Amino acid sequence: MLSLLIGLPMVGSLGLFLGLGGRRLAIVLAGIPLVISLLLFRDFDLQATGMQWLEHRDWIPQLGLNYSLGLDGLSLLMLALNGLITLIAILTTEPEVKRPNLFYGLILLMSGAVNGAFTTQNLILFFLFYELVLIPIYLLISIWGSNKRDYAAIKFLIYTAVSAVFLLGAFLAIYWIGDPHSFELAEIPISDFSPAVQTLLLLALIVAFGIKMPLIPFHTWLPDAYGESSAPVAMLLGGVLSKLGTYGLFRFGLQLWPQAWADLAGILAWWGAVAVLSGALAAIAQKDIKRMVAYSSIGHMGYILLGMAAATPISLTGVMVQMVAHGLILALLFDLVGLVERKVGTRDLDVLNGLLNPLRGLPGISALLILGGMASAGIPGLVGFVAEFLIFQGSYSDFPLPTLIGILGTGLTAVYFVILLNRTCFGKLDNRTAYYPSVQGWERIPGLILAGLILWFGIQPMNLVKWPQQLAFTLSTQVAQTHTVILAEASEVSG
Amino acid sequence: MTTTLAATKLPPSTHPFAEIVHRLEAGGSMLPDTPENLMQIIGLYKAYAVPMDFYWRDLLYIAEQVFVDPLPFFKFIIPEEYLKLANHYAGESADLRIWRGIDTAHPELLEFMEKGELKRKLPRILHHLWHDRINMEFAEECMRAMLWHRDMGGLLDPYMDSEEYKQNADRAIRAYVQGNPLLQGLYKLFPDMFMELCRQATMYSVLGLFWEVMAPVFFEMSDLYDEGKLTTVPEAMNFLVNGIFAVAGRPIYHRVRIRGEWYDIVPKSKGFTWLYEAAFPYVEAVFYRTSPFRGTKSYNAQANQVPTNQLDFHYGILYADKFPVASAGIPPTLLHQDMYHFLPQYLVDYYRQHCRGEEDMLIQLGVSFQRSMYNVTSAVIQAGRAAFLYPLDDPNPRHLMMNRRYFEGQLNRFARPEYGIREAARLTYIQDQNYR
Amino acid sequence: MPDIVDIAVSVEGFSTLVTAVKAANLVDTLKSPGPFTVFAPTDAAFAKLPPGTITTLVQNIPQLTRILCYHVIPGRLKKADLAKFQSVGSVEGSPIDLTIDKETFEVNNATVLQADIEAENGIIHVIDTVILMRPHWFWPIMNSTLPTSAGA
Repeated sequence: MLSLLIGLPMVGSLGLFLGLGGRRLAIVLAGIPLVISLLLFRDFDLQATGMQWLEHRDWIPQLGLNYSLGLDGLSLLMLALNGLITLIAILTTEPEVKRPNLFYGLILLMSGAVNGAFTTQNLILFFLFYELVLIPIYLLISIWGSNKRDYAAIKFLIYTAVSAVFLLGAFLAIYWIGDPHSFELAEIPISDFSPAVQTLLLLALIVAFGIKMPLIPFHTWLPDAYGESSAPVAMLLGGVLSKLGTYGLFRFGLQLWPQAWADLAGILAWWGAVAVLSGALAAIAQKDIKRMVAYSSIGHMGYILLGMAAATPISLTGVMVQMVAHGLILALLFDLVGLVERKVGTRDLDVLNGLLNPLRGLPGISALLILGGMASAGIPGLVGFVAEFLIFQGSYSDFPLPTLIGILGTGLTAVYFVILLNRTCFGKLDNRTAYYPSVQGWERIPGLILAGLILWFGIQPMNLVKWPQQLAFTLSTQVAQTHTVILAEASEVSG
Repeated sequence: MTTTLAATKLPPSTHPFAEIVHRLEAGGSMLPDTPENLMQIIGLYKAYAVPMDFYWRDLLYIAEQVFVDPLPFFKFIIPEEYLKLANHYAGESADLRIWRGIDTAHPELLEFMEKGELKRKLPRILHHLWHDRINMEFAEECMRAMLWHRDMGGLLDPYMDSEEYKQNADRAIRAYVQGNPLLQGLYKLFPDMFMELCRQATMYSVLGLFWEVMAPVFFEMSDLYDEGKLTTVPEAMNFLVNGIFAVAGRPIYHRVRIRGEWYDIVPKSKGFTWLYEAAFPYVEAVFYRTSPFRGTKSYNAQANQVPTNQLDFHYGILYADKFPVASAGIPPTLLHQDMYHFLPQYLVDYYRQHCRGEEDMLIQLGVSFQRSMYNVTSAVIQAGRAAFLYPLDDPNPRHLMMNRRYFEGQLNRFARPEYGIREAARLTYIQDQNYR
Repeated sequence: MPDIVDIAVSVEGFSTLVTAVKAANLVDTLKSPGPFTVFAPTDAAFAKLPPGTITTLVQNIPQLTRILCYHVIPGRLKKADLAKFQSVGSVEGSPIDLTIDKETFEVNNATVLQADIEAENGIIHVIDTVILMRPHWFWPIMNSTLPTSAGA
């Protein structure tokens, strides 16, 4: 099953590169993995604590490289998210896109590699998938981006290359220090590592994944990459690729090094709070709606870090829900911003106006934009609220002050979305310039699907929350245990 | 016309709209003379005339029979006799035959009233509740504007405050409430309210009598255009000017029929005329002033966004932003909806080729309507010039200078910087064919 | 001496005016002692009005009366007397604007062709255009100016 999720898109992309099919084939190839991942939900064992659907094959044992896959609640959600966003991104693409087969093929290639990264249980295999993703996304930015696409693509590549260096370094260190040497996630003898080494490795991983997410101060590639990409690529970058960072941090940081994680938690929580604030403040200052959405993403990554730092069952559940929520909301926002740009020809807040106009504006798109803004600002009844509420509720007991700052951040999110909506949707259309083409039916579909999910999960959050709960509980106990051990040792020393 | 004289006898105008001043002096319209403009304005006159044929009939019905009913639920359900009412300016027995057509309700109107947009024959009340009907709300909005912006010239306005008017009204109201103890009690308690309702009914009558003239004028223009006899915008404007003069002396009155007996409230013998009591105030109140409406923009009166003086109101069709038509709370939307049903085919085809075609036809026709009303306003300005000032080919330079002062004074109404009037005025927009 | 009506009837070129005065039942009034000052439009003046204008007026006597009354002012006023005023009140009620100097004698937009014809009960000035009541907004429009910055 899981191999199919990885293999099918990749093989399909090969077919597209060879010139088979086109848009319709791409949609089918993106739809099948989504269906498969939905089937996984049906058979998923909610009670199981470990990995499910394990697959294991030796590949190059000398290098410790094994093809081993597995799935837990987090992976499951991420697979579904990836499947959905991939399909949506293809649906969002203009049919007139130049070199369509290459475009769709790259998206599918990327999607397959991301599926691999989300399911692999082998560190070096993860690294391979992680790097494999870069090639298509680099091409997607540099070929189909807007004016400054080359600059943005190169900047993105350099940053992620640095990320890869840290990642590979950390993984190799784990291999060499551990005894027996192994890249298998389940076989890493954590007790072999001294606390200092653990902390160092964790720091390296935080930098590696922090660049990918991105976390402030590693974020400067993001506004350019998001801003210069075409809408479908921006959706993939924000909706899926950033999740590689949060997923990695979760899987190889929090899960692997609970003790070191507990040590650093205080710093991470503050780091998250700072990210929330600075992301929101930077977004407020933007004049370009796409960059504004991009900066909003930075702020939302802060919530994830905050929730992870607290590592309570509730906050971890919130973190995983937030990954999905953020993916859905960001994809919706980029889709809509892309549509606005395509129809109006600008993303400039000072030029945009009055798009809610029912006959001459983009009323449907504007309405969805309002919904997206509300979801991003965490308005109750929408999925963003569910995630943020869980995170804040879970982390307040451990880190009250950073949590309060985070809550303040949601207020600031509302501020810049009000600015965005007020300028773009409300007001008057200019009688001299506002002759925009109308939105076609097919252009509305991706936004409607995403908006429907955002609303549905907002009203029925249990449909989303129940999947990662078991994992959140297991992990939080591990962190809590190490915490009590440390406390016990500390009291022994002092006593 | 040999009207290039003004240009040669006077130095060029230094007005911001100098080009338009010169055009007016040459006998032109504020609207540029292009075949496209002509087609748009004539098509709109036709589309406007059909609902207008309903408006004036229903307005007179309300003025004469609904009168001061405090809860006039069925005022828009027009009785048959008013659909049969003979227009004084059309048909065989007309006082002055402006339109060659019939004097009873227009056939397209009757067909629409029967089947509506649904194209199904249903009881009138169902069409009404479904809003599948001619929307009198717009006509009432115009009436209210005329009632509210008082003192726009003419003698009727002071007359409505005179003792004579009050006595006439009192007599009619007493007759109206007779036999209805509830209404009698209400009249005893709130005599001023009934008096004000009566003034409103008078204004219904004024507007009805005004539009009774305009509907045949527009029908005739449409027919002439279809026959190829109306070929330029100035010709269309001059037809209107002549029409205005021809009926200028038409009496404006208000009478009420109660139990078969007529009561004069504003008798014909007062000598009130169409030009002074209806046409000028109508243009002033409806084309220029009206009142700010909700929906497009919030106005903050404390921040001086709404003029303190009613004279400076500038929310009429000549200043209107047509793009929000069909948004919630935009009153002209109902008028546009009415005209939409009666567009001539050539305009439907024309609109299909532009902007969003079918989708935003309400706005496209709104912009055409704006162009056509700039032409009507031009006709009123030229008629005023002809009535109070001098011919365009007057040999006396002093007279020509007076004409120029008048034209420039009129155009100042679109160029004043206060309250954003200059920005709101659509005069510069309609010079451009791409404004649609 | 003949009265105002007699003069109008006897002189060539005022048949439209005479018909109108008769239709409006103003003959008796204008034969009364008065005195009145009448601005009498010639037939050519009436002919300048667009077609239909007179038809409508003749159909509606009160309205016709009102227009005719606008051409009459109470009193016996010659050009020299009128020269002291910028405007005078008509019998109709609305003011008539005067432009008078040595060469010029104009009332509203009409030029006086022949001034100071004496009659038993008043004065007649012959004018070349039918004058119409100027509404109160007329002079504000004529005198309106833009702030100098508005030209930008």
